[in-house]
Amino acid sequence: MKIALAQVSPRLGELKQNLNLHLHFIEKAKKKKAGLVVFPELSLTGYTLMDMVQEAGLNPAKDAIFAALKKLSREIDIVLGFVEEKEKGIFFNSAAYLSGGKILHVHRKVFLPTHGMFEEAKFFAQGKNFRSFPTRYGRTGLMICRDFLSYGASYLLFADGADLIIVISAAPGRGMSEEKAFETSRMWELMGEAISFFSTSFVLYCNRVGFEDGKVFAGGSFVYNPLGKLLVKASAVDEELVVVDLDLEEIRSSRKKWPYKRDDKPEVILQALARIIRGYED
Amino acid sequence: MKINAPFVEKVLCAFIREELSRFHFKKGIVGLSGGLDSSVCASLAAKALGPKNVLGMILPCGDNCSEDVKDARRVARRLGLRSQVVDISPMVDAYFSRYPTQDRIRIGNKMSRERMSILYDFSAKEKALILGTSNKTELLIGYGTIHGDMACAINPLGDLYKTQIRDLAVHLGLPQKILKKRPTAGLWPGQTDEEEIGLTYAEIDQVLFLLVDERKAKEDVIAAGFAKESVEKILTLVKNSEFKRKMPPIAKISSRTVGHDFLYPYDRNR
Repeated sequence: MKIALAQVSPRLGELKQNLNLHLHFIEKAKKKKAGLVVFPELSLTGYTLMDMVQEAGLNPAKDAIFAALKKLSREIDIVLGFVEEKEKGIFFNSAAYLSGGKILHVHRKVFLPTHGMFEEAKFFAQGKNFRSFPTRYGRTGLMICRDFLSYGASYLLFADGADLIIVISAAPGRGMSEEKAFETSRMWELMGEAISFFSTSFVLYCNRVGFEDGKVFAGGSFVYNPLGKLLVKASAVDEELVVVDLDLEEIRSSRKKWPYKRDDKPEVILQALARIIRGYED
Repeated sequence: MKINAPFVEKVLCAFIREELSRFHFKKGIVGLSGGLDSSVCASLAAKALGPKNVLGMILPCGDNCSEDVKDARRVARRLGLRSQVVDISPMVDAYFSRYPTQDRIRIGNKMSRERMSILYDFSAKEKALILGTSNKTELLIGYGTIHGDMACAINPLGDLYKTQIRDLAVHLGLPQKILKKRPTAGLWPGQTDEEEIGLTYAEIDQVLFLLVDERKAKEDVIAAGFAKESVEKILTLVKNSEFKRKMPPIAKISSRTVGHDFLYPYDRNR
């Protein structure tokens, strides 16, 4: 089954222009016979929104842009990022999975980086859940950028039966060395490799490219198979559509070889976590 | 401190191209001094935008035939840029004939701001954005004239230390003469940055790298083998120049204030 990662560079706060960017890449993905196309974090709005969060927020159930995308999802599944006004005046950094003309799931970013160059918690409300949901590829879980760097979050999707973990990202590159990439790019691949192998799931990571206020979004979108093998990796700088064929049978074969899933003990983890939390000191 | 020069070139060229296109500009302007930073910036701009879309402004004060002017012309010719020489001495002399001074810093700053003023006028005249050439070393120690050479529309070089810019220049194939030139702000004849600051760029860059990039404490940097006086001097320069790296503070008295809680990105709606 073919899937596509649309490593694009949206324009800040220009929703109509970004919708056209989506339509263009959806068309390209369809031509390549992909059944799913994934866009990066906040693909509909751009990342460094600051106060524009309040202007870019939309309700996917009622919004015209979403109506257009939902219609297209009858032909191809779509994952995208947007600002969601879930309740009046409350804005989330969200990801939606659209399929068959409907919204199958909305994930609201839980880990909002707010340190150094990041200030998401200043502008966004915090999501409170990770869950997997059925798609035509199997059970699927969504994460947004920093969510994926918390390995506990990946565990929750694993425990919830995910066969496919989709991470949408707007990760700026930083740190230089003699390597032909930013130092931080390795961090995402490291997690991708480890999580795909130990959860015996596919990991799809779609990062964006382009620049906002001097930040360099470092692309490098990738797919790992359930045995931790890198299937494809996009460039660090260029806008591109990466298409790759997923052999869904590998989910089964990897779990026959490595029974991490069979042997998982969520109840032990839950009890231990409860004990740890009870032990918190004020 | 090591960089992968081809990767850095690719990223910075993409930055120049994308920022300009977001603001619907095709052309860039670089003030060419004949030194390392402006030559590197012009070289990146030529690769990013095409040489004919880059205007190299050569802005000497009086001596139109100095070695620096010749070097700047050579760089422009080598890169295939359009270039323009504007002598700033009539403007600078007119001012100081009225308000005479022997203060070399005042004269140097005035020259720097005169160049800025001309770059901005040509920016409007040519519909071209000014590409800044202040490097990370200068920005951190405050070795630049506020509203002078620090002024620009975008700065591709601001996150590269001077020594890293030299590595990039080698990769870009700039002439040996430019690579070996002793850095100067051109504040007065014979002036060199390192003599004026009292430290070498090699030393400043290594100390700054530890303090800033590696977030080391002063004591750790001294323990790593750098002279206490040098480290303290560099720290003082960094602390005393914060005002050059920030927009001026606005007294906040309303419920929503520019810079405080009216917060939009530079690339708003771009």
